[in-house]
Amino acid sequence: MSQNAAPTNKNNNGNLVEIRGVSFSYNTRTILDNLTLSIPRGKVTAIMGGSGCGKTSLLNLIGGRLRPSQGQVLVDGLNVPDMNISELYQLRKRMGMLFQHGALLTDLSVFENVAFPIREHTRLPEVVLRNVVLMKLQTVGLRGARDLMPWELSGGMARRVALARAIVLEPMMIMYDEPFTGLDPISMGVIAKLIRELNQVLGITSIVVSHDVAEASLISDYAYLLGDGRILGQGTPTELRQSKSEYVRQFMDGLPDGPVPYTYPAKDYLEDLFEGTGG
Amino acid sequence: MKYLQTLGAAALGTIERLGRAALFLYEILGNSRVLFRRFNLVIQQVYAVGVFTLPIVLVSGLFVGMVLGLQGYNTLVKFGAAQSLGLLVALSLLRELGPVVTALLFAGRAGSALTAEIGLMKATEQLAGMEMMAVNPVMRVIAPRFLAGVISMPLLAAMFSAIGIMGGHLVGVGLLGVDSGAFWSQMQNGVDFRDDVMNGVIKSMVFGVVVTWIAVYEGYDAAPNAEGVSRATNHTVVYSSLAVLGLDFIMTALMLGEV
Repeated sequence: MSQNAAPTNKNNNGNLVEIRGVSFSYNTRTILDNLTLSIPRGKVTAIMGGSGCGKTSLLNLIGGRLRPSQGQVLVDGLNVPDMNISELYQLRKRMGMLFQHGALLTDLSVFENVAFPIREHTRLPEVVLRNVVLMKLQTVGLRGARDLMPWELSGGMARRVALARAIVLEPMMIMYDEPFTGLDPISMGVIAKLIRELNQVLGITSIVVSHDVAEASLISDYAYLLGDGRILGQGTPTELRQSKSEYVRQFMDGLPDGPVPYTYPAKDYLEDLFEGTGG
Repeated sequence: MKYLQTLGAAALGTIERLGRAALFLYEILGNSRVLFRRFNLVIQQVYAVGVFTLPIVLVSGLFVGMVLGLQGYNTLVKFGAAQSLGLLVALSLLRELGPVVTALLFAGRAGSALTAEIGLMKATEQLAGMEMMAVNPVMRVIAPRFLAGVISMPLLAAMFSAIGIMGGHLVGVGLLGVDSGAFWSQMQNGVDFRDDVMNGVIKSMVFGVVVTWIAVYEGYDAAPNAEGVSRATNHTVVYSSLAVLGLDFIMTALMLGEV
């Protein structure tokens, strides 16, 4: 382990993840600007915000797929940006991530998708492996779908299989990237129930990135509202709903106009119309 | 001035892409130990890349050999040298047409498929998913496909040449009346193992590396959307074809020692 990646504060006040003064830019666009937040151990924390506000970038920074231009990303006391690739892979074995559309390997069956991390990282006997995979599939209610291929699954089923795969190595935390997007109400309820149950039964720390206010509020213990690369609101879902902040109100109530304007910045409307007629 | 700026930007962009492709090749070679550690992954890809390309290679080889037999006979017979038809067909196939046409067919069939597959894996976050599962996608996905291409190409080229010679024999001996003994004995006497066979093998190995490298790089570097994958697939076929033809000239010149 490199010196920089050594644990800086193992206790971290009970926080599993700490983001300290993190800035991140893509090309010339600032995505995150001096962001500081904490993810408590054993809790479900929601990161909410409009599209393109940097929620997914934040997950990628925590997972070490992106590097911040400044600041620290501490996971279990280890500063992720300072890790070399083998240290990062060791850390990732203790993390799970549920991608927006599941990211199942399309050439493998449901069973083999869930077995994939075990086959890659352990040498479990086939009998034990089979039982572990079936137990995880049973957890998400899809033991009977073990022989199906990814293209035979509905969106909700694919995400449940991906969730079984994410928990198969029994990680300390799971990051959910827009877990409710594009799902019907029943599938959405199933995923929400699973996130909550995994947290309560297995004690897995969960970070749920979502712009689905209702579902994310329902399952989270604490929530951050991101916008313009910084935190615009935070608190328990109840506190956020009662917030006086205009931005928080607009987001929580889904208002079309407010601090986030309805119209994209443009020159004066009349001037623009007359320009086209040569007036 | 603007034209010069555009030209300069394009040149810099090309150099940057070449640099990234070279670093990618270095990374693939670094991860090629997968050949020994996960041999089954490579074998699966040899099947997908090589065996599925076999039908088009065999059919093309047969027709190319038949055309060579026909054209060769019509030229040789004017000089009373029709008995040398076997030699002409064999040398044409072993030295040039076998490696080159196989590489072009490989680029169109297997290269484009590799690019599309890897590009779609990227677009559907499968590669990102592997990274987050602490699995190196270059070792798990890219290196086995690259090695499969490098292994398959010389074998496919050999089969192309073999069936091409059969095609030449079919037309020359079967249809045009060339003596079968002369066909084979002229070939046996005139083909040199090192200068003709091995040079062809070297060419096909080089083509295998270049075409598969281009295919996997274009897929890995593709923009993660439908247009990006389509563009990358197109690039693979165009760049591979140009690279094969250009390298063929350079290698032929070096092997013949004429330039």
